[in-house]
Amino acid sequence: MIRDLVTPGMPVIIQGLTGRSGRDQTARMLKYGTNIVAGVSRRDGEASDVPCFRTCTEAVAATGAKASVVIVPPLSVLASIREAVEAGIKLIVSITEGMPIHDALKVRALVREAGARWIGASTPGLAIPGKIKLGFLPDISLAPGTLGVMSKSGTLSYEVCHRLVSRGLGQSLWVGVGGDPVKGTRFADLLPIFADDPGTDAIVVVGEIGGNEEEELAQRIMETKFAKPVYALLAGRNAREGVTMGHAGALIGSSGGSVESKAKALEAAGVFVCTRIEELAASVAAAARKSTHNTEKMSA
Amino acid sequence: MMLLEHHAKELLGRSGFPVPEGILVTSARAGVGAAALPAIVKAQVPVGGRGKAGGIVFAQTESDLETALTRVMNMTIKGHRVRACRIEAPVEFAAECYLSLSVDADAGGVRVMMAANGGVDIEDPSLRDNILWRVVPADLAYVDAAIAALALQLPSQLHPALAEAGRDAARQFFALEALLIEINPLFVRKDGSWIAGDAKIVIDENALPRQDGLRARIEGNAALYPEMALKMEQGFDFVVLDPDGDIGLVTTGAGLSMQLIDELVARGHRPFNFCDIRTGGFKGDPGRLIQVFRWIVEGRNVRSILMNFFAGMTDLGELAKLLLVAMESVPDIKRIPVTARMIGNGLAEARAVFAAAGNPIAIETDLETAIARATARARPVQ
Repeated sequence: MIRDLVTPGMPVIIQGLTGRSGRDQTARMLKYGTNIVAGVSRRDGEASDVPCFRTCTEAVAATGAKASVVIVPPLSVLASIREAVEAGIKLIVSITEGMPIHDALKVRALVREAGARWIGASTPGLAIPGKIKLGFLPDISLAPGTLGVMSKSGTLSYEVCHRLVSRGLGQSLWVGVGGDPVKGTRFADLLPIFADDPGTDAIVVVGEIGGNEEEELAQRIMETKFAKPVYALLAGRNAREGVTMGHAGALIGSSGGSVESKAKALEAAGVFVCTRIEELAASVAAAARKSTHNTEKMSA
Repeated sequence: MMLLEHHAKELLGRSGFPVPEGILVTSARAGVGAAALPAIVKAQVPVGGRGKAGGIVFAQTESDLETALTRVMNMTIKGHRVRACRIEAPVEFAAECYLSLSVDADAGGVRVMMAANGGVDIEDPSLRDNILWRVVPADLAYVDAAIAALALQLPSQLHPALAEAGRDAARQFFALEALLIEINPLFVRKDGSWIAGDAKIVIDENALPRQDGLRARIEGNAALYPEMALKMEQGFDFVVLDPDGDIGLVTTGAGLSMQLIDELVARGHRPFNFCDIRTGGFKGDPGRLIQVFRWIVEGRNVRSILMNFFAGMTDLGELAKLLLVAMESVPDIKRIPVTARMIGNGLAEARAVFAAAGNPIAIETDLETAIARATARARPVQ
């Protein structure tokens, strides 16, 4: 269920509140309706809309915060997450770009040990549209609806969701897992959250070259007999071997990670794989129309 | 990002890991007479399969060496132009083994792999089926234990070499914050001593700010790592995909920029470049735009420019002002028609900025329409 991951109104702290980005993003999230109860910063900054504490432990003790959005410089993400976990935070979203991968390995181990959930290393965040936003998914692409969205790339998912929203198709929950190779939450980890969620009718996967998350997702869809329709768009068909195309995770090695390998695995699991954004938007919209039509017929 | 073999071996050699003598040359002329013979000429490109592609050549005589260097320096392997060669002393050996340490992103740990029969590509079934491996937590003590345990499973004459080489490689793996260290082949001699035949090191770009040695090496060899050196200097990605391409791209966001290329290629077009300019890092400076414009006008066939900015955090009004400044700095850009797709934060302000300047750029909000307009100005699909 979605509430196992995130609930509207859950108390949230911002680590790195007094940085420029921390301040701006906090203001935007507050405006969206996210219940930000405090910030954490080592430095004094300008007055902000929420109280600021020196440590996570103090912030959690004073506010009962359950989630944290980490907006600190890349080399400080490890220390900040360690602090959040030690303070008992159970959901951590890190939006900083550029966290070293060996640090991400350490974070992954420590959040698992503590039974916490980490969305990161670097992600635009997650949102239940109209209710809560942790991170900076753009408002223009968010609308309440019944699509469960999981995405690696920020910008590509903005485009995809924007097109779907302009066709009247919003999201039940959208999670940006990020483009890093080592991450806290992978596509397949999100499947159970959507599987038994009555508010989610179909899944949209925005994937890209590199790694094996799409292949792993395909495997999990088959193993768990995931019943909802899944649509996928895979970017990077024309990337060159040995060259990173922006994302650290988007590096094709000679041992796979190509769009072809991902498409093959997903199609074998019954996923509708698209090459073009428009194809994906049109297919999801057509299926949604059909299912609305059927529902209307049934109730008639 | 993968280091060139030469630099990987330099780093390993400096840490005490035995590597063959070798020099790096960036022209055929520089190599002739510079190395002892016989020698092996090895193309320095950041991809596997160099041997199969003809990028590794044995030279017995000076004239062999000259021929080999001339030929290899003119090659392009898997899209990478050969900009340098390593000329290396051949090694006598009794066995070719395989050794690697890598970040296992899936398991969130380190994968240690060894085999008695290396020397071929890891994809080769003869190696794949014989590989011994273990995935352990990313901690030197666990990795050391895995190496010791795996080496014990190898034939006794190879066991000490692999255990020792593995232990040395593991220290470098953590010290360099590497994503991969692969020694294939690891040559083991009759007397049990060992030396790296090849070395692949993939480094983590995100760790560069605290990896002074790696950073210095890349900065000192900027011509050999043009994309990475650029990224370190400028903070963004720009890759020429097709020197004859006719559509220049000024785009932000890695995923959407890659997808845009896929969309163009699927329609039969030839984009000139990949670009993730990262508007979030502009901070009021048009420098990145000016640089990208300069590279695009260098594209001999570029006849259409497609910009795409989906503004999540970026303010399009600010961006529009910077675009105008950048266009003034690179007047040549004005001879190429521009299609600018913009959507999101500050769209109305961007329209006003362009209107006040006499509309040098027309804004399109729909990506499909923008693609149609930009491709209509490109060369017709064959």
